[in-house]
Amino acid sequence: MALGKSSAVVIGSFPLGESDRVVTFFSREYGKVRGVARASRRPRSRFAGALELFTVGELVFFDTGRSELLRIDHFDVVRPLARLRESLERLGHASWMVECVNRLTGERDPHAALYGLLTRGLRSMEVAPPGRVALSFVARCLDQTGHRPRLDACVECGRRAPFPRARLGEGGLVCEACAPCLPGLVPISPAATAALERLRGAPWEDVIGTPLGRTEGELKTVLDAHMTRLIGMAPRATKFLREVRRLSKIAGDRA
Amino acid sequence: MAYYPEPVARLIDALQRLPGIGPKTAQRLTFYMLKRPPDEVRELGDALLAVKEKITYCRTCFNVTDEDPCRLCSDPRRDEHVICVVEEPNDLLAMERTGEYRGRYHVLLGALSPLDGIGPDDLKIRELLARLEGRETTEVILATNPNVEGEATALYLAKLLRPLAVRITRIARGLPVGGDLEYADQVTLSKALEGRREIS
Repeated sequence: MALGKSSAVVIGSFPLGESDRVVTFFSREYGKVRGVARASRRPRSRFAGALELFTVGELVFFDTGRSELLRIDHFDVVRPLARLRESLERLGHASWMVECVNRLTGERDPHAALYGLLTRGLRSMEVAPPGRVALSFVARCLDQTGHRPRLDACVECGRRAPFPRARLGEGGLVCEACAPCLPGLVPISPAATAALERLRGAPWEDVIGTPLGRTEGELKTVLDAHMTRLIGMAPRATKFLREVRRLSKIAGDRA
Repeated sequence: MAYYPEPVARLIDALQRLPGIGPKTAQRLTFYMLKRPPDEVRELGDALLAVKEKITYCRTCFNVTDEDPCRLCSDPRRDEHVICVVEEPNDLLAMERTGEYRGRYHVLLGALSPLDGIGPDDLKIRELLARLEGRETTEVILATNPNVEGEATALYLAKLLRPLAVRITRIARGLPVGGDLEYADQVTLSKALEGRREIS
């Protein structure tokens, strides 16, 4: 039985049996790992609130070697990031980020740079506009996981960008002439293409400190469509964010 | 399971579809039942059928019940001006066991979960709004679980109900009775500090 230790972020969990929980972590040393936290749903559990979504901490586990699931020994909270759970908008956007990491990475595939990006993104989201942080994170997450869309030329014919009526496909931009032969393309304006390029290349502090303006909504649609193509389904957090926006409208109408 | 007689294999298969029951447990339960007297097994079968045939959701509060409206909704001694919102019928039972609450309930049958794609339309939120409109409810107690899903649901409901001139309260969060302060995590302790009360 091997003992493992690593810094990690809680990126998901579900109940198991009467009082246990299966928790998914994204760790610096081991990448995505899943483990059973025994009795963690009991009010006096030694884990207490440490296993809440987005919590950053120090994970200690046993790998029995007999199962894919680890045995979680303890998880000491380093940063609870509780503010992310205290606003529906922050919760939705942070969920979108961890969903991307969860679905685009394999189990036990270490990725220290992506771990750093995730913790930085979640920390930034406590104070910066959540939509902008999430877009910056997802644009860079695609790069880190090897799904970087090509934005300098049409991926089909090699025509140099910019060109009118561009679309974003699986590998990157597609020009108007090549678009009819490809399914599931999403229109992307030159402004959004430039913004996406900046999101993944400019220093993090500059990116989250500069408003995206009208391209923010378009980029969310484009990146969501790209994620949908990659993972084979629409990100679930997107539905939640849509509902939150609808609520804001209803609450505004009622007030 | 070809080496088991067909009825045994069928029962093992049926039992292992239950949550938390794997193949080994299903086999153990099946062989336990084979050893029990027929009356006892029949009683279990009848109880399982009765649950499906006689139990339904109360049309008012969505608690599980064998009569509609349920006993809690039709009890005139309960305060109809206060509604306690819980996630599941089991949470309602936990509240009832305290013996402290004498108001009415509303069961959402779940909680918002961004990572599972559970949105407001999947819960009994529309029905809660319909209950509140045109009634003289003075307080809504949000008693969802103190986890991400429960907090998100409480936040959502608080925002949605705010314009309705109803007092909205959230159950207190903090240290469990009999717990040790040194083992409490930062979030629990900060919530306990936030919700501290003066000792009279």
